[in-house]
Amino acid sequence: MNAFFASLARDRVFYLFVAPFAALTILFGVWPILLSIQVSFTASATALRPNPSYVGLANYAAVLADPLFLASLWRTLLYTVLSVVANLAFAFGFAVLLDSALLRRGALFFRLAIFLPVITPDVAGYVVWRWLYDRSFGAINAALKMLGLPAFGGLSSADTAMLSLLIAELWHHAGFYMIIFLANLAIRDRALEEAAQIDGATAWQRWRYVILPQLRPALVINTVYALIQFLKTFTVVVVMTKGGPNDQTNFVSYYAYQLFDQARYGEATAMATILFAIVIGLSLTAYRIGDREPGQ
Amino acid sequence: MNDRAVNRPLQAAAYAFAILTSLLFLYPYWWMIVSAFRPTRAIMSAPLRPWPETLSFSIFTEIGRIGGVHLATYVTNSLVITTLSTLLGVIVTALGAYALTRRPKAPGFALIRYGFLVTIMYPYMLLVIPVYLVMFRLGLLGSYAGIILFLALGPLQFFLFEQFFRKIPPEVIEAAIIDGASEWRILTRVVLPMAAPITATVALITFLLNWSQWFPIMVISRSPDTYTLPVALLSMNSELGSNFQGIMALAVLTTLPITVLFLLAQKRAMEGMAAGAVKG
Repeated sequence: MNAFFASLARDRVFYLFVAPFAALTILFGVWPILLSIQVSFTASATALRPNPSYVGLANYAAVLADPLFLASLWRTLLYTVLSVVANLAFAFGFAVLLDSALLRRGALFFRLAIFLPVITPDVAGYVVWRWLYDRSFGAINAALKMLGLPAFGGLSSADTAMLSLLIAELWHHAGFYMIIFLANLAIRDRALEEAAQIDGATAWQRWRYVILPQLRPALVINTVYALIQFLKTFTVVVVMTKGGPNDQTNFVSYYAYQLFDQARYGEATAMATILFAIVIGLSLTAYRIGDREPGQ
Repeated sequence: MNDRAVNRPLQAAAYAFAILTSLLFLYPYWWMIVSAFRPTRAIMSAPLRPWPETLSFSIFTEIGRIGGVHLATYVTNSLVITTLSTLLGVIVTALGAYALTRRPKAPGFALIRYGFLVTIMYPYMLLVIPVYLVMFRLGLLGSYAGIILFLALGPLQFFLFEQFFRKIPPEVIEAAIIDGASEWRILTRVVLPMAAPITATVALITFLLNWSQWFPIMVISRSPDTYTLPVALLSMNSELGSNFQGIMALAVLTTLPITVLFLLAQKRAMEGMAAGAVKG
C-alpha cells in the first residue's frame, strides 16, 4: 500500500513538470486547431460571434467548387513535387561530394556556404532574392546581359515566377537536407563497402547495393520534411510575389490567408483543414513506404 | 577509402563545382552588404559593381525611424523576444519532454504528446490565424507575453530533448530512487547536469530559429511597437516606392547578428539540427 502511494506521489510530480508544456500545447496548438475546424463549419459572417450559425459542409462544398482553389491546389502540388525532387537531388549530390575523398580540403567551407542560408531569416533572404530578380536593380539580369544571354523573366513573368520561387527556396532549405544526408553518410558501415570491394563489386554496385540502402533513413526523413515544408509554402510568396503574376504562385496557404484577410473565415478554415489532411496523408504514406523492408 | 589514389581530373571538376556552387550561395549576402552602402541610383546604373563607391554608414541613421518606430526599438524587440522565448522554451520543453519520457504511460501523457505532434503537422501559417482568435480571448493580443508564449515551443527542440532523455540508462535513475532521492532531487542533481550539453544545443537552435520568426509576431502585434527586425523588414519591403538601399541596410541588420552567432557555434548548431530532425 505504501509503495502504491509512493508511486502516486512520484507520478504527481511529473504532472507538475509537464503542466507548462501541456498548457502551451493546448492553448496555442490543440485549441486553435479545434477552433479552426469548428469555424470551418460555420457561416463566415457569424463565425466570430458567440453563437455562430452552423452550415454543415457548405464551406467545404464551396471551396471544392471554387475553380481558383482547385487551380491553387494543383499548383501547390506541382510546386511541392518539383521542389522536393530538386532540393533532395541537390542536397544528396552535394552531401555525397562533400563526403567523398575528392574534397578533403575546404569541405567545412563548402558545408557552411550551403548551410548558412538555412539559419538566415527567411524574410531577409527572400527580400534580397526579390531584388536580385528585379529587372532594373537586379544582379541576375545584369549578369545574364554581361554574358550575352537572354534576360530572365524572374518574378514578373508568369512563365518563370514559380521557377524563381523554387530557386530562392532551394537556396534557403537545401542545406538542411544536406546535413541530414551527411549525418547519415557519416554513420554508415564502411566495412561493408570494403568487403564488397574485395568481393569484386564495381563502384556502381557498391553504391546501389551497399551504400544507398543504408541511406534509407535520411531519404525518408528528408522526403517527409520536404513534403511538409513545400506544401505549406507561404513566406516566399508573401515577400516575393503576393501570389502573382496571374495567380501563378498563389499556393493554398497564401490563398487561404487572403480569404481570411477578406473575413471569409469559414472558407479559409475549410481550406486549412483540407491542406492539413493532405499534409498528414502524404507524410504518413511516405513513412509507410519508407518503413517497408527493402525487397518486399 | 582514404588511401585509394584520387583521380586528378575528377578532383579538379569536383572542386570547380563545389567552389562555384558555394560562391553562388554566398553571393546574395555580398550583394546585400554592398547594396546597403550604395545609393539607390548607383545600384540601378551598375547592379554588379562588387564594392561600394564610398564607405558611408549614413543609411543607418536615415532608416532610424521605420513606420513611425525607432530602429532601436526593433533591435531591442528582436533581442528581448528571442532571448525570453528561448529561455522559456528550453525550460518548458525540457521539463515536458522529461516527464513524457519518464512516465509515458501516465494517464493523459500520451494525449499531450499526440496533441503536440498534431500541432507541428498543422500548416504553421494557417495555425497562426486561429491563434489570433485565441490570443484575443486570452487578452494577449498586442502583448510581448503573447508573442513570447507562442514562440516558446518547437518540434526540433522537443525531439532533441526527448531523444536525450530516452538514452539515459534506467539504472541511473533507479539507483537514485533506491537511495531515497525525491524526483525533484533526481531532476536537479542527476538528470540536469547530464543534460547540460543538450540544453546548450537546444538553446542555440531555438535562438537561431526564433530570431527569424515573423508571421506570428505580425499577427499577434497590434502596432509596429512590438515588431522584430524581420517583421519591420517585411513591412518596409511592402511599402510603395520603397527605399532600396534602406531595405538592404535593414536586411544586413537582420542577418548579421545571427550569422555571427551561427559561425561561432556552427558545429553544435548543424549537428543539433541534424540530430533533432532525424528523431522527428
